[in-house]
Amino acid sequence: MADHLDRSACPATVQLLGKAQQDGVSTAFLRADHVKPCPIGAEGSCCRNCAMGPCRVLLPRGKSDLEVEVTGVCGATTDTISARNFLRMIAAGAAAHSDHGRAVAETLIAAAKGEAPGYTIKDEYKLLKLALDFGIEVGDRPIEEIALDVGKAALAQFSQQEGELAFIKKAPLKRQEIWRKLGIVPRGIDREIVEALHRTHMGVDQDAETLLLHGMRAALADGWGGSMIGTELQDVLFGTPQPILGQVNLGVLKPDHVNVIVHGHEPLLSEMIVVAAEDPEMLALARAKGAEGINVAGICCTANEILMRHGVPIAGNFLQQELAIVTGVVDAMVVDVQCIMQSLPKVAQCYHTRIITTSNRAHIPGATHIEFHEHDAVNAAKAIVRAAIEAFPHRTGRVEVPPHRVDFVAGFSHETIDYLLGGVFRASYRPLNDNIINGRIRGVAGVVGCNNPRVKHDSVHVEMVKELIKNDVLVLQTGCSAIACAKAGLLTPEAAARYAGGGLAEVCEAVGLPPVIHMGACVDNSRILMAATAMVKEGGLGDDISDLPAAGAAPEWMSEKAIAIGQYFVASGVFTVFGVTWPTTGSEKFTRMLFEGLEEKVKARWAYEPDPIKAARLMIEHIDAKRKALGIDKARERVLYDMAMRRGLEAL
Amino acid sequence: MEVKEEKTRFDGVRVEVLGPTYEPGKPAGQDEGNWRRKLRDREEMLRYLRTSERYWYSSDWYGSERRKNPA
Ligand code: SF4
Ligand code: SF4
Repeated sequence: MADHLDRSACPATVQLLGKAQQDGVSTAFLRADHVKPCPIGAEGSCCRNCAMGPCRVLLPRGKSDLEVEVTGVCGATTDTISARNFLRMIAAGAAAHSDHGRAVAETLIAAAKGEAPGYTIKDEYKLLKLALDFGIEVGDRPIEEIALDVGKAALAQFSQQEGELAFIKKAPLKRQEIWRKLGIVPRGIDREIVEALHRTHMGVDQDAETLLLHGMRAALADGWGGSMIGTELQDVLFGTPQPILGQVNLGVLKPDHVNVIVHGHEPLLSEMIVVAAEDPEMLALARAKGAEGINVAGICCTANEILMRHGVPIAGNFLQQELAIVTGVVDAMVVDVQCIMQSLPKVAQCYHTRIITTSNRAHIPGATHIEFHEHDAVNAAKAIVRAAIEAFPHRTGRVEVPPHRVDFVAGFSHETIDYLLGGVFRASYRPLNDNIINGRIRGVAGVVGCNNPRVKHDSVHVEMVKELIKNDVLVLQTGCSAIACAKAGLLTPEAAARYAGGGLAEVCEAVGLPPVIHMGACVDNSRILMAATAMVKEGGLGDDISDLPAAGAAPEWMSEKAIAIGQYFVASGVFTVFGVTWPTTGSEKFTRMLFEGLEEKVKARWAYEPDPIKAARLMIEHIDAKRKALGIDKARERVLYDMAMRRGLEAL
Repeated sequence: MEVKEEKTRFDGVRVEVLGPTYEPGKPAGQDEGNWRRKLRDREEMLRYLRTSERYWYSSDWYGSERRKNPA
């Protein structure tokens, strides 16, 4: 047990690691012990882009690549190989987010045509906003017609070959200028991803600098393209999130209910599963099998999506997916795309759980495939819920649901922050900017990203975020990072008094905000970009995102998507720190480009620091430097006026 | 409706003060937390967009960027 305490900061995880051990189940935690990271790949020094290799371009011991040059068979240097590998990570991450966005655009089109029963336009306000963004006529046209045009315009962004992506116009004007000057404004989403793969093919782009420039273009195509389309169109279809009370951790599973876990990233299907689980026919069937009801819970980003819109509880984050099955009460785990471990069917073999894949893009040997199409979503969802109900009477093995379950508040979209800080007469970021200027809030940090079993689960996120809020930094979160901090009790308004510094606590109390704000799933990092842009445009904090006292971090990252997100944060002007490991250390020159050189180009840079407290300090130092540059670093003295002073005032 | 409450003053003396006169209430049902419902029709939505998201959708107010790039 003592061993397990070192593996996670989450008590439910520690408890179930013990059960997994007793049940003889292998988990990612255990496998991480057996599969050591390849030291060559970890440095980014392995190229397998052609059959003359793979080439391992290792530097002689104690030498740096600035002193000696080693190359692959084709002559590629460590810098080129590192840069190529880095660009390929960005391309893969951007592709994943963008494909998600494309699926949403297709569903919106189908819904507008009336070809997707069950889906409707839930948020007309957001639709109108997008119509303005895309220059689509509003007038008195029926909502479906506008939705169809918006869906088509969004879909066209993927295959656009020339010009600029539409959402680029939303960035601060100065930032747009920087991008244009560097020639990195994305033309079309697919185009930049394809070009990234072309450039990194054997014998094409061999200059680390131009590779990096294109890396930024592809990353921007994700942040201000694919991801933003995913976020915005999901809001149209499912409603823009508003603050909602949720519960998190494995204790949300109910032993006497049929438990269905939705895991993955696209809410298209899980939205329907939520509906199917409330269907009287399904509930009757569940009762006939001896269950009290049907309990839907989520894992990873799907969890964030449906929690924000339906209050469906979150069972856990990335590293808890196997452990959910180990509880013995999960009757079906439904997965779509991204962050799904191939081990799930194997873990499920020890229990009765049905693993159901649903996307034609993601199949897993040993899982049941029930394919989901938007035109028949309700029936697919019912078939899945029925499969879970059928599995319920076949529970085998010992049931152990950890008692851990924490309340928290989720669902702060950019629009909601705007509304909450302002009011219905004029929504505004003014109070936030004012409180940053007067020093109550020191700055803002986006802490996002995955879990990684190479570090103590959840602990790096929680430690970092605690350190930030203690120092009056307001934290915005998405993805598994948000789930980690929710489990630690940081996402409640009460956490302000308990963990935040005096200034931040005061502001949180006044507006009723938690000191750590849940903004959604990984694609919703685009919401953080919008919030940062709104702060710039509101005025008083410079005229570019890079002027803001703000920083970003993904302290437990593992996914290629995290690199894409980090790169679009940096390219948008946000200083960004990653933990765990850094994938380009094999090339000193390329790493310097990322950690130093980028500052000159995009006024922001990357940093790597695995220690959460040290990383938080780096962020705070950066925030302080930006405050100084803005001239708001000196705390203004509060003067209490007495009567004589007041009289003096009146005399003026 | 006049509600009075007894409270202790800073010097320890018990005093009678006016109590709250609002109707205690909590939003419930579909309106809970849903500020968007205040926007009833398309016209209102567009108007709200032009004020709340004025940096992007209003032609006469352009935040910090107004001076350099008049809209
Ligand atoms: S592209 Fe060059 S460095 Fe890469 S595997 Fe082929 S020969 Fe080796
Ligand atoms: S934060 Fe990382 S692990 Fe979690 S869902 Fe997103 S990409 Fe996957």
